[in-house]
Amino acid sequence: MKLTSRYEQTSCRLVVEGLPDLSAGQDSSTIGIVTGFSMGLAGHTDLEGQREHLQALLAAVIPYARHLLSAVPKAFGAADSPVAIEPSDGRHQLELRSRQPNTPPLKIVLDDAELSDLVRCLDQLRLDRRLAIPFELPELHPLSRNDLRHRQPLLRRVAAPLVGVATLLISASLLSLLPTPKAPVDVRLNRPTLALPR
Amino acid sequence: MADASVPLQTPLSRRGIERLDLMLLCAEALDLNGGEAMVWLSEEMGFTDLFPNRVELWKRRCSNPLRRNTRRAALKPEETDALIRILNALAERLYPMLRTLLSSAEPPELNQQRWDLFRGRLRELVQERLNPRRGGVQRLLDPGEGAELSRELVQAMALSAGEGGFERLRASLLDAAV
Repeated sequence: MKLTSRYEQTSCRLVVEGLPDLSAGQDSSTIGIVTGFSMGLAGHTDLEGQREHLQALLAAVIPYARHLLSAVPKAFGAADSPVAIEPSDGRHQLELRSRQPNTPPLKIVLDDAELSDLVRCLDQLRLDRRLAIPFELPELHPLSRNDLRHRQPLLRRVAAPLVGVATLLISASLLSLLPTPKAPVDVRLNRPTLALPR
Repeated sequence: MADASVPLQTPLSRRGIERLDLMLLCAEALDLNGGEAMVWLSEEMGFTDLFPNRVELWKRRCSNPLRRNTRRAALKPEETDALIRILNALAERLYPMLRTLLSSAEPPELNQQRWDLFRGRLRELVQERLNPRRGGVQRLLDPGEGAELSRELVQAMALSAGEGGFERLRASLLDAAV
């Protein structure tokens, strides 16, 4: 018997269809095998895909949301992945690539509200207990200093080292203007006092 | 995404506590009863042992280094986790409002009025409770940079709402200091 799970937000709707994996001992209300899914985004035609597309959608959008939460937008989705997402002029461009040759990728631009809706739908889906599918997702972890360096404006990041180098250069050039002290001369012998006595 | 990927006992940095309290302040700016809602949610979610009354809850929030009367006592991981759960529940409650603010489909003039109202309330709360000598507070009150920062906070709240929001927000609050 085919089962359907729906996840809805204002501008997004995800529907997962599948069957229970009875061989794995799942009960009849659990989806263990995905036979297909559809995604409806407001203002766009419904999109349909297989489990691999759903996996690629999760693997791109969930880490993207994680980075956006730390205010460091970053593109996700490898070149050979069916789904990619990247920041685009204050919005978020979702790129859906078809496996069929000569089919250009479908680009959907989402605003912040639409992206939040999509993330909430995907969160509901991946945490749904009626869906016993092991989706592979990168682990949630705090971002390192290296990941976050783009958050600070360039000027603020380089200000401290720049001031340090400038101070060093200015003080070095000022010091170089001072006359070098001459070695004291022994008046009687007319030679430097430091010379060893004969 | 593995829920146990962030160790449970990692305490938040001062910067993480600062961001968490600012988001709670945004929740208060969005909802006039936000302060009361926090106390009610804390009781409802079973955090009475950690925060027996509103004063204790208030004292924990005063660990934010930007506060006028900041407390230097470090927060325990279970206390910050409880505050994150409260924020997660508040963001869920306020999600329709957060979404409206972030949406580009709303009439621009009407949405500008909503932002002005929210930023006005936030400014009042910031001036009342935070130390105006701190650079972070001055940036929040700056007309240009403050608008950008408050949008970032609203977006972060929208992405923290819902089931997966708690783990995502906690990982973000544990980010390295820049």
